[in-house]
Amino acid sequence: MAPVLEVDGLVKQYGTTRALDGVSLRIEAGEIFALLGPNGAGKTTLIGAACGLVRKTSGKVHLFGVDLDVDPITPRYRVGLVPQEINFDPFFTVRESLRIQQGYFGQARDDERIDELLAALSLTPKAEAQTRALSGGMKRRLLIAKALVHRPKLVFLDEPTAGVDVELRRDLWSYVRKLKAEGTTVVLTTHYLEEAQELADRVGVIDRGRLLLLEEKTALIQRLGQKQLVVRFGAKVASLPQGAAGTLSEDQLELHFLEHAGTQTSAQVLSALFAAGLPVADVAMQPARLEDIMLRVLKGEVGP
Amino acid sequence: MNVIGAQALFVKEVRRFLRVPGQTVLQPLIGTSLYFVVFAYTLGGRQSEIEGVPYVQYIVPGLVFLGIANNAFLNASSSFFITKIQGTLVDLLVAPLGPLELLLGFISGAMTRGLLVGLLTWLVALLFSGGHVVHLGGTVLFLLLCAYVFSMLGLIAGIWAEKFEQINFFPTFLMMPLTFLGGVFYSVQHLPEPFRTISLFNPVVHMVEGLRAGMLGLPQTSALGLGLLLSLAVGSTVAAWQMLRVGYKLKS
Repeated sequence: MAPVLEVDGLVKQYGTTRALDGVSLRIEAGEIFALLGPNGAGKTTLIGAACGLVRKTSGKVHLFGVDLDVDPITPRYRVGLVPQEINFDPFFTVRESLRIQQGYFGQARDDERIDELLAALSLTPKAEAQTRALSGGMKRRLLIAKALVHRPKLVFLDEPTAGVDVELRRDLWSYVRKLKAEGTTVVLTTHYLEEAQELADRVGVIDRGRLLLLEEKTALIQRLGQKQLVVRFGAKVASLPQGAAGTLSEDQLELHFLEHAGTQTSAQVLSALFAAGLPVADVAMQPARLEDIMLRVLKGEVGP
Repeated sequence: MNVIGAQALFVKEVRRFLRVPGQTVLQPLIGTSLYFVVFAYTLGGRQSEIEGVPYVQYIVPGLVFLGIANNAFLNASSSFFITKIQGTLVDLLVAPLGPLELLLGFISGAMTRGLLVGLLTWLVALLFSGGHVVHLGGTVLFLLLCAYVFSMLGLIAGIWAEKFEQINFFPTFLMMPLTFLGGVFYSVQHLPEPFRTISLFNPVVHMVEGLRAGMLGLPQTSALGLGLLLSLAVGSTVAAWQMLRVGYKLKS
């Protein structure tokens, strides 16, 4: 089966700036792919090239196996986009906006689908409200509903939770999981690394138009992730017992240990401390974070 | 072709201008009606005749043309420009709408407003001068072509413009001089030289004369006006199609 999205050697040049510098990647059906990177890295440009918003300089983009240079229209029936910037048409209500969007995608009026989305995104009480009267968070919800109203098979979420409250973020996460369960492919860009960690099957890190890393999230965290263990002692500890690793603080009251591939596990360190009868007063554990991995990748400390 | 998509865009466009009827229909209708009253009555036009036709009837085709041309142009240009400014252009670019669907949706919406204002202007004129449509087929063809051409030109302006100032450039500096000097309120045949010859280079003159020939049955030939309209229709369609196809000023 052809990948849902296939990008090959994609280049986008804006004057002297190369926004995309030979990006190649494949997104398979049913996965959630998180594209990560700092501002201006090329994430939105990449999504724009796949969605028909950006004119590429060179390279190839295939959507559902169709070369966009040959047929830029047909694959779009199955694509939805939540753009980064909030937009709304002030002449229409929430429901009317969704009906218009359904029409654009060649679908007959389907109020059942609209009601289902309104409910899922907590927009039902605002269904007949003018879009201009919505709060920022509500407008963001409407954008998401518009992107999903035609039941797309591939959804691009470009910073979907930027500037929204925790409630919407949690709502959206659960809806994205539901989409995945229904077989929808999701491409997500986000500044909230926690979001990518929560949702993604695979992650890509892009910077200055180049894809620096592309890997399954779980494998990546196992390979590059660092768990941090902090142990607080009730009394000074002069030295670490056999089997324990890490660094003692200057006041000899704390132990810091970074667990990563090839080291002892935090559990082994703790066991050694307890076995030696050291006065452990408190234990704090920070799990491996995608954020730390991304920062290390961007600094060039680690690579593919 | 995405028929439902083009239809959705058309319905959206019509609903959009009907949401603000005071601004999009009533205001231009009052404007053209005032021209009618001022030029045909208070300036003494009631007693005069041009080419054997009472002045009050003579200016009706020009005013109907004015209503259609201005409103078709403004609807397409402002609607498309606002779509760009408010960011909803993304909805159109991401959707499976090619140049054909976009043209059909925007142009049919703009033509509807232009023709609606033109029809209402004509109905107001009926009250003052009685109905005069001698050649119905020719008249309808001219009206449709005028509405089409000015909708298409409006769409091109909407695609091209990046600032509100630019969107106002065409109606103020092009449409208004061309229409007011285009024989809407007078016959260019009666102008002294060299103004008569200069006026003949104004395409609006031939469009108004062609419409006048159809509505009032005047002997002027409508062939030149028809030819001009057809040429403009083809030229503007090709230009707008190409702009939409490549995403001129629409895609980064």
